[in-house]
Amino acid sequence: MDSEKKIYDNPRKVIAEALVDLAKRDDRVVYVSCDSSLGASGGPFNKNFPQRHFEFGIQEQNAMGEAAGLAVSGKIPFIAAYVPFAAFRCFEQIRDDVCKTRLNVNIMGNNCGFSVGPLGPTHVIIEDVGVIGSVPNITIISPADGPQYREAIFKAAELDGPVYLRVHRQEARRIHGDGYSLKIGRADRVLEGDELTIIATSTMVANSIDAALMLKAKGISAEVINMSTLKPLDRDLVLESSSKTKKVVTVEEHSVVNGLGSAVANILATSGPALLKKIGIEDNFAVVGEYDELIDYYGLTAEKIFDKIQDFLHREEDDENSNRL
Amino acid sequence: MEEKKKNRLKKVAAGLRQDIIRMLCLAGSGHPGGALSMTDIFSYLYFGDVLNIDPNKPDKKDRDRLVLSKGHACPILYAALAEKGYFDKSHLKTLRKFGSILQGHPDMNKTPGVDISTGSLGQGLSCAVGMALGARLNGQSLKVFAVIGDGECDEGQIWEAAMAAAHYNLDNLIAIVDKNGLQIDGFTKDVMDTEPLAEKWKAFGWEVATIDGHDYDQIEDSIQKAKNASGRPAVVVAETVKGKGVSFMEGVCEWHGQAPSEEEKEEALKCIGEFKTD
Ligand SMILES: Cc1ncc(C[n+]2csc(CCOP(=O)(O)OP(=O)(O)O)c2C)c(N)n1
Ligand SMILES: [Mg+2]
Repeated sequence: MDSEKKIYDNPRKVIAEALVDLAKRDDRVVYVSCDSSLGASGGPFNKNFPQRHFEFGIQEQNAMGEAAGLAVSGKIPFIAAYVPFAAFRCFEQIRDDVCKTRLNVNIMGNNCGFSVGPLGPTHVIIEDVGVIGSVPNITIISPADGPQYREAIFKAAELDGPVYLRVHRQEARRIHGDGYSLKIGRADRVLEGDELTIIATSTMVANSIDAALMLKAKGISAEVINMSTLKPLDRDLVLESSSKTKKVVTVEEHSVVNGLGSAVANILATSGPALLKKIGIEDNFAVVGEYDELIDYYGLTAEKIFDKIQDFLHREEDDENSNRL
Repeated sequence: MEEKKKNRLKKVAAGLRQDIIRMLCLAGSGHPGGALSMTDIFSYLYFGDVLNIDPNKPDKKDRDRLVLSKGHACPILYAALAEKGYFDKSHLKTLRKFGSILQGHPDMNKTPGVDISTGSLGQGLSCAVGMALGARLNGQSLKVFAVIGDGECDEGQIWEAAMAAAHYNLDNLIAIVDKNGLQIDGFTKDVMDTEPLAEKWKAFGWEVATIDGHDYDQIEDSIQKAKNASGRPAVVVAETVKGKGVSFMEGVCEWHGQAPSEEEKEEALKCIGEFKTD
């Protein structure tokens, strides 16, 4: 394990390349930006396809409507903005113009989670999955590594309906191999185990794998599932794995309110008897800090995830013992 | 405009007005005022050989588009689409009813001939801008029409879209502002004064015509000029009478969003009938 070299990808770079490759193949693909995309994924697209790049300045609501109009005209728009401005400022435009109409508009929420921690809670959004996830018809993709980000672009274009793609700023550790193929709505089991199921998304997949390896050293066999589609959730795999392990931990760089953990809880509450621990950010506005500081502060490092899982397992043992008395 | 055509369009308009009144009465709720104020313009657009559309092929790729950004006025759109033959007129009786293809606000996935869903004010012009951009990119020579309310012009997004349309030199986009001077809470000038409205559009880089929205000569003239605009979008600021054609509704704020009773319906139909023969 230690001898394996770890590879990291920059999500924005991966997306920028994927968009250019996609646009070369499919002339319906257009890029819509709101004065913050050239340095993100829009630069190379603009260079290659200036006619198909529409800049709307700081007008996110307008730009979202225009993306819908472009989709009505047969185009496949990708629209990019910081998460707060992509997901919140134009929420109603997303709901009415994009989702109710079921148009092929692909929204890239840049800098999700603690990506831009020093900017503070106007820019650090930990509620986007809950907010966007509450709207019918939309698909939410939350990739964990480079191959998934690349695939997400192609699969989002292929899917004839709205997609919200969460784009993180941190370099993403490679989890999947080169020939990886993403299936929307299907999660990937990235580590097999039979005593505990860890379900994670985005940045937390790598940290969860590391935590699972620490558990393994302690003799605990944990399964890790990379839930890269947050809506619709891969219900089958959640039920299959949890019926085997009877214990589930969710890990997300997102609020524990209406995120991955809540979605898993909904499934377990109605269909699968298993104990659940949600690891994420408590219902609050994030404090300001660098990425690594915040991940540590909110207990989302591999070590802290490992500790929390151990607590969870010990408490369960204690409960079982006390029941027996 | 030729007298013959004018009379034909006026007759069509009278029929559309009657349909609006009948369907709203049956629905028991809805918006007559802003539908009636747009009726003459819709008569011209749909029956005056303006829109390049085919009711038998509602999804025809090269068709002109119409965005009813003030979606609450959909009874006029539904009446025009039914009259044009997009669907059977019997559907008008189902307005706002459970399971109907005619919802309280236009839905592109439910009603043939509706190019995009609307209902929340301020959003439609942006969609129209996107359609116009897409059409240009597709090499299509079609025109996109967007009908917006004067109250709707309170919304900031209207001015974002106005700015963007001029920025992209969208001469395939034609906006029509229904300047009926009223919104829900009262006169536009009292609720939120948007004047000088025409000058605002001018300042945003649009070609502007201000007309009497019930005068067919002026309607035709302004729309034809707008279609020939070059290098910039065009807007027709149509001064209209809210509730036009039904004397007791004309200029009366309360008739913005209230359906006529059975008796009021009969009286309204009589008013419209008289108007038709003029
Ligand atoms: C964003 C939004 N806010 C409020 C409403 C409720 N509303 C429906 S119609 C209307 C007044 C519209 O006035 P105007 O645009 O002048 O339309 P018209 O007079 O032509 O009916 C309002 C406030 C809405 N539909 N959308
Ligand atoms: Mg008005």
